[in-house]
Amino acid sequence: MSTKIITPVDEFADFLPQEYKELVARGPYRERRSVEDLGTFKEIIEEHPHCAGCGVSLGIRLLAAALPSPEDTLIVGTPGCSFFGLVQAALNYSNTAFGNQNAVATGLKRMLQIRFPHVHKDVVVVAGDGGIADIGLDLTLHSWFRREKITTIMLDNEVYANTGGQESGMSRQGQVLNMAPQGKRFSKIPVFEMAKVSGCVYGARVTVASPRKVGRAVRNAILVAREFGPTYVQIFTPCPTNMKFPPNQTLKVAKEAEKDHYTYEEFMSAEVAAYLARL
Amino acid sequence: MYVAAKVEVEKCTGCKLCILSCPEPNVLRYLPETKQVAVNQQRCKGCGLCVTVCSKDALTVSSI
Repeated sequence: MSTKIITPVDEFADFLPQEYKELVARGPYRERRSVEDLGTFKEIIEEHPHCAGCGVSLGIRLLAAALPSPEDTLIVGTPGCSFFGLVQAALNYSNTAFGNQNAVATGLKRMLQIRFPHVHKDVVVVAGDGGIADIGLDLTLHSWFRREKITTIMLDNEVYANTGGQESGMSRQGQVLNMAPQGKRFSKIPVFEMAKVSGCVYGARVTVASPRKVGRAVRNAILVAREFGPTYVQIFTPCPTNMKFPPNQTLKVAKEAEKDHYTYEEFMSAEVAAYLARL
Repeated sequence: MYVAAKVEVEKCTGCKLCILSCPEPNVLRYLPETKQVAVNQQRCKGCGLCVTVCSKDALTVSSI
C-alpha cells in the first residue's frame, strides 16, 4: 500500500472522522516507529471490545507498534479473541475459516511476490492458541515444513476465551476452567519446540510483561521472514476473565510466568544471527 | 466508561511505563511540551494496569 492511498483529497478532508484525520497527520506510516515510541503517535489499532485488562489486546497493541512497515503488511487471522482488536485496525487484515490462517497466508504471500516482485510485502499470521495449536496445527506445521516466508505470531492466553472458557491444547496441566471443571489432564502442546525442528529459522517466546522484548521479537521475526523462511513468535497474553484474576493483575501473572513456564527464549540459525547483527 | 484512570500532574515524571502497559490504544498519550502523560478518559476502561506499574503513585482509578 502506498501512503498516498490513505491521504484524502482536499474536497473530502472535512467529512472524515477525527480518528482518520489523526491517522493521516500523526500515523506510523511515514516515519519508522517502534514500541518505545508508543504514546507519541496515532496507533493503527482503534478502540476495541476486549475486556478491561485483556492480555491479548495488549499483545496486539505492542505487535502492531513493532511492525517494520505497517503500510506493506498483510495480517491474516482467524476467529477468536485476537480477531476483535484487529478487524478495525488501519492495516490490511484478512480473516479466514478457523485454523486455515497459515494456508491462506501461504497463498497470499506467493501471490504478492508475483504481483510486487521488488517490494517486501510482509504476510503475518496473528492468531490465538486455538487457531494455531489445536485446529490449525496441521496447516501451521506444513507451512513451516514448506519453508514459506511468513511470520506466525501466537497470542497464547491458554484458553478458548471468547466461547466461555474451554480448555485448549495450550492450557496448562491441571488448569481448572469454566468448561473444564476437573482440570486439564495433559500438558501444554510444545509448539515452540516443534517450531525449532519444523523449519523455522527464527523463533522467540515472550510475555506481555516485557514489551520491549515483544517489539524486538516481532520486528526481528518479520525482517528475517523476508529473506530466509518461516519465523515464529509466541506471546503469553493472560486472560483475567477466564483465569479469574482481577484485571489489574495481568502483568503480574505474566511476570510470574516468565520465572516459571514462560521463560524468555530465542532461537535462530547461524546465517540469521549474522544477518541480524548486520542490521 | 464508568471508571477511568487519572494522572496526578505533580507526581508524574513522564517515564512512559504506563503507556507500555495499557491494553487500550490511544488512551495514554505522552505530551512532549510538559513531559507528562495524559489520559483520554472517554476511552479508558479502568482496568488499573497503569496504576500497578507506576512507581511514583501518580495514577489512580476512580469513577467519572
